[in-house]
Amino acid sequence: MIQQTQYTPTTTKYNFPPTLEDATLPQRLIELSIQTLKNTQNHSSVLYQPYTDAEPSQNETPEEIAPVFLGQTSLNPKPIKLKPNTEPTTIVAVDVSSISLGETDAGTLIAIRGAIVWKNSAHYRYLRIGPFPFHITEENKKQVYRLFRQHSFLQAPNSHPAGSAPSLNHIAARMGALLERWLQTITATTSHHSLLLWDGSLTAGTPDAPTQTMSHLLETARNRQNTVLAFTKLTRLRLNGHRLTDLNSACKPPYLLPIDGYPTATSPHNTIHFLGNIHVAKLSEGNCSFRLDIDQKIPSDQAIEATQRLVGNDLLLEGYPETLRLAHIYSTFTANEVLGIQRFLARTHGLKTIQRPNIRRLLFGPFGKGPEGG
Amino acid sequence: MRLYRKEGNTVQILSFPSENAEKGDYLLIEDPKENRALITQVIDVQFASVPGILEELLRDSTNNGESVNGESLDPLEVTSHVTIIQDARLLIGKIRASLENGKLTTTSSWLPSRSQSTIKLLPTQALLSLAKINHSLPVHLGETKEASQLSIDASALDGKLNIVTGKKETGKSHLSKLLALSLVGYGAPVVVLDLNGEYAHLGYASDGRRNEHHSKIHVLTPSENFKVTLAQMKLRVVLNVLVHALNLPGTSAREFRRIWKFLDERAALTLHELGEAIRNWRCNQHVRDALFSRYYALVNSGFFTDNPSEAVSLEDSFAKVRSGGALIVNLRDASLVDRQIVVEYVLGKLVELLTQWKLRAVFLFAEEAHLYLRETYWDDVVTRMRHFGVFTTFVTNQPDTIRENIYRQADNVFLFNFTNEHDLETVSRAARVDAETVKSIARDLPPHHCLLLGSAVKDFPLVVRVKALDVQTMGQTRLFFASKN
Repeated sequence: MIQQTQYTPTTTKYNFPPTLEDATLPQRLIELSIQTLKNTQNHSSVLYQPYTDAEPSQNETPEEIAPVFLGQTSLNPKPIKLKPNTEPTTIVAVDVSSISLGETDAGTLIAIRGAIVWKNSAHYRYLRIGPFPFHITEENKKQVYRLFRQHSFLQAPNSHPAGSAPSLNHIAARMGALLERWLQTITATTSHHSLLLWDGSLTAGTPDAPTQTMSHLLETARNRQNTVLAFTKLTRLRLNGHRLTDLNSACKPPYLLPIDGYPTATSPHNTIHFLGNIHVAKLSEGNCSFRLDIDQKIPSDQAIEATQRLVGNDLLLEGYPETLRLAHIYSTFTANEVLGIQRFLARTHGLKTIQRPNIRRLLFGPFGKGPEGG
Repeated sequence: MRLYRKEGNTVQILSFPSENAEKGDYLLIEDPKENRALITQVIDVQFASVPGILEELLRDSTNNGESVNGESLDPLEVTSHVTIIQDARLLIGKIRASLENGKLTTTSSWLPSRSQSTIKLLPTQALLSLAKINHSLPVHLGETKEASQLSIDASALDGKLNIVTGKKETGKSHLSKLLALSLVGYGAPVVVLDLNGEYAHLGYASDGRRNEHHSKIHVLTPSENFKVTLAQMKLRVVLNVLVHALNLPGTSAREFRRIWKFLDERAALTLHELGEAIRNWRCNQHVRDALFSRYYALVNSGFFTDNPSEAVSLEDSFAKVRSGGALIVNLRDASLVDRQIVVEYVLGKLVELLTQWKLRAVFLFAEEAHLYLRETYWDDVVTRMRHFGVFTTFVTNQPDTIRENIYRQADNVFLFNFTNEHDLETVSRAARVDAETVKSIARDLPPHHCLLLGSAVKDFPLVVRVKALDVQTMGQTRLFFASKN
């Protein structure tokens, strides 16, 4: 017998978890941040500003692993009509942003920030964690990565090939993903009877989302009667060549289109695992529909119930949950904040930001495309 | 502070909130390599255009309501740096002078280094010292923002055309009194055309006691202690009154001239004889009617008398103030026509005395002159009469009543607050300073703060809080509810 998840909150008032200041990672993050930034003092104190700095959150969403559906997949998925369930349910959303601040002679400077937003009754509460700037060099990147893995994956480092530290070029995105996993772990372990909204999919087996870690995370959430709903804003999901989120249903929103089939990955090594049931969700009137992954170990009626509670409890703007939207807004870096962090680095570590010559512009003049290409 | 841009004589300086520079402040942009500096005045303070600021404000604004709240865990205190960037300011400055080897020059053709230049606040006292604004005859006006005393030299008003303007209740009349009394204190003759009777009690302290100026203040109130006989008047002045104040047509004016000469030859220039002469004069009936109507206007003004003992000799009155004193012509209860008659007479007499060198020069203070000065007098006052030694200070809260050419010729402008765009536009035509400075600084002047422009401050616009004056104020508006409070 499968136990029905009980969503009723424990109190009628706010059910917000305590702040995370007592957790150990923030302290280690601070220490690590300070420690890595000290490295800059051993090198020439010049921070070369990347051309892409005007595009905050460039690495916020790792590239989606697009599944391919096998032959059993039908082209006419049956929509599941959703009835909003307004029974009070706590909604928790997590999002993380990372940004490359520039390069130094020895490495790269990045900053990461996470945000958790809780929705209870009509109230939203947020906790922003960071920003944490890091100076990642070839020498310290393993140490930094190891710390995150210890805290976010609850497993020994290097238990998966992806556990090795990434190249400096990808370090910002990787560290952002690590912080996100840690925040997801924290919310999964501190929430009960809640809807946990994640940004992205429940695809595992990538460097950012090892299968064992993701499975453990989902299990932790399930054990506390939480349901994980993962939204992907932009999806490459296709069914027989058709972009799934473009499929229109005669059904009036809100509804779910379950992808009735067995997805498999395009990865040659076939290490990718889909830990969620994939749906196309159109939760309100408007133009947008999203890929929604729901923990596949949750019975389908429970998954539908969770989605109905989301529709009944959260604001939906173009079908996207407001709690998750706020999490994104509170975590993302604005250009002004990048300047502020650069000022912080200049004041505290004497790092002077300079613009590298634009090679494209130098070579191709007005034909040099790219951020400054015009 | 960092130099950001320079276009023409305008510079833009990036500043952070802790660097407390405000409108009106002077900055010294020093280029150590060039050994030169630019003296710049801040005329506007704006927010620096910081990328991403809109997103940040929108994000923060979601936090204002009760529905969204939260906290940030920012142990490294990076946010404080973000806030500083958010509040970064752009100071818009106008280059006033250049300092080369300790000497002031007006050229601003060189460009200081953006990376090497240092920028610091230039205290007013240091500026005054650099500009060598001398104070052999100091007129103490008040204090600057830095609480240092600010004086101008009385000689900066000598031979000059001045304008005191600002909206109501900002302190224009107060400053005018201060200037007038200071001039009197230095032995200058002052004539005040006092529209509202505000200057009549300049000789009394605020507690009603006589002050040190009392013996030097002479108040002439038309039709009370200021009457004249027709014989005291010149034909030219009378004709000016009839034509300009009473709109007498040309044909009738010619007849009047004949009548006047007829009476003058017989030494019978009295009101009574003038009335009789018009009555019996052989002329067209319409002309006679026209002359009679003007005649009765003169009679009814109460300004003219046939009794020589009642008449006041303006020569004698001017003699009293020749070595320092103020002649206050109190026009408070006079009608528009009567005011024009009196002013025509006073100015005509003034020019006559100056032409004859019975007076060396006179400082004329004219409050709301458009209410009594005829059109053709404006140019007269600022050009011809100036050469005779009439140095005028116009005081008005309606700047558009003063002609543009007067603003252009004004040597000093004492500018109080204006908020109306049209008023600011008008005042900005003053040639001694750029329009942007006037519009930007005057708009934000608090009451009793004055922007000094012109030769008195060697063309370095300065803001001063005008000091209090211990004289009885008569210009305050009579209030209905005041007695009920």
